[in-house]
Amino acid sequence: MTVTTDAVALGEWVACGWPGKVPVGGHWDTVILGQQVRATRTAADSYEVFTLDRTGTPGRQLPVQSRYCCIFTTLSEPKRPLPEISEFAEPDRRLVNSGCVGVNTSPYRLIENFLDMAHFPFVHTDILGAEEQTEVASYKVEHRKEVDEIWATDCQFFQPAASKAATGGQMTKYVYRIMSPFSIMLYKTVHGDPGRNDAICLFIQPRDETDCLAYMPMALVDAVSTTESMIDFQQTIFLQDRVILENQRPALMPLDLTAEIPTKADVGSVTFRRWLKQSGIWFGTSEKAAA
Amino acid sequence: MDRSLFRANARLEKARLAVVLGDVEAGRREMQQSQHDAAGARDCWIAVGLDAQIRPQSSHPVIVAGRELALWRGETGPAKVWDDQCPHRGMRLSFGFVRDGTLRCLYHGWGYGEDGRCVSIPAHPELAPPKTICAGAHAVATKYGIIWSNLSAARAATVPEIPAVTDWRPVRSLYIHRSAAVVLAGIAAFDYGAPAEPATPAADVYVVTLGAQTQLLLALQPVEANKTGVHIASSGVDATADRLALVRQMHSLRDAIEAGTGPSR
Repeated sequence: MTVTTDAVALGEWVACGWPGKVPVGGHWDTVILGQQVRATRTAADSYEVFTLDRTGTPGRQLPVQSRYCCIFTTLSEPKRPLPEISEFAEPDRRLVNSGCVGVNTSPYRLIENFLDMAHFPFVHTDILGAEEQTEVASYKVEHRKEVDEIWATDCQFFQPAASKAATGGQMTKYVYRIMSPFSIMLYKTVHGDPGRNDAICLFIQPRDETDCLAYMPMALVDAVSTTESMIDFQQTIFLQDRVILENQRPALMPLDLTAEIPTKADVGSVTFRRWLKQSGIWFGTSEKAAA
Repeated sequence: MDRSLFRANARLEKARLAVVLGDVEAGRREMQQSQHDAAGARDCWIAVGLDAQIRPQSSHPVIVAGRELALWRGETGPAKVWDDQCPHRGMRLSFGFVRDGTLRCLYHGWGYGEDGRCVSIPAHPELAPPKTICAGAHAVATKYGIIWSNLSAARAATVPEIPAVTDWRPVRSLYIHRSAAVVLAGIAAFDYGAPAEPATPAADVYVVTLGAQTQLLLALQPVEANKTGVHIASSGVDATADRLALVRQMHSLRDAIEAGTGPSR
């Protein structure tokens, strides 16, 4: 495995672990974008990340930030800061760290799946969707140039059991926010409090082009459920998605819009692919052979 | 064997080697090219399974020369062979499920009729799917209890003709960790315990006549560079004890080929 030469990918913050993963003084070795790195917990809330060469000798020190239940680092000069997600600072929120799940596919297949409502009735049957109500109503997608993020708004879907707190079916409203090629989040209707939104993130650690770790920190409005049950709910959902994600062909994301056939419900994915293509990124895409 | 499949196999082998040597990028390139070569496969029929093994309302993954296919059957009727890829988001259709004669993709429930045309997009129940949305359907024929497919666009070739025998019964599908060429040589060299009269009515098809009554049909499916399927049918072997003995003999054929000291590729 060698580190990617894709300057766009190198210039992003990527997750590489979570706070409290190891005791103070401990470290873990992992890989980002093909580069071996070592993360060390130097104090209760302090982490250092170094590259490792092939012999395991530490090289240069990398920038590091601990936010949103994740440790983030970057191999180059980041072209954007980490996104602002204010929900994680609200005092009554339950911050849930569900760890990470390994998925053998391109990071962008993961982002698209997170963005997708049409699969709920088939992949998350009787939880996030039902086979009787499969329609995806029109929603809006925009590229917010000032922050270079893609937002999908006015999304809604009928859900039999939208969250751990849900007691019956509801029309759930969603807002999706793609914050970088490797991070996306959603805001969805809180059960019993329509004025607030649960915030659920997906941060991807691309170890290599089709080898990812997915972190799903959440900031939830739920005073009742146990942390274990909330993690369990999220992991159940994600493992249902993994069966799909590892069996899409090709695993690399095709950025040529004619390679796969989208429909109206996929306008978010179409915008995402166009945005990726314009960014010049080729890591994890089918177009890399031509790059 | 089909020359373009040979080329695809050789590329697959290079791909595997590149991955072993740590050059993942080169490996992926070779892999893609090998799929491309197989896609341009020459006009010939390849055995992909025993008809009796494919139950109604089921879908299965099959690989021919590195190319991933979905072998499926509706509630009734003959089996179908399609590219193992939903045109929408690339999900493998061998994971799909059958409803009302259509194969539905597991990811978004898109439904495809027996001719491959998309007939339903559940996200838009009111929409009539455009005619241009099609699964990649291949020519299929069921003959001698074996399902055959022709992956080329030309489809002028006919399914191998095996005269005089009409009562073929399925025996087993074996998967052997050797190339098709090595398997074919092993089939020819095997001691069937009786004077054997071999014939090869087509590339990758071997017929063995044993005495006056018994015939064996062995049809090869090149899977990957070093893996081959053999779909076996028999004629004139009807007593249960004889059929069990035949199955054991075919297993020893596989063992003999895998134990062989000849070239493994």
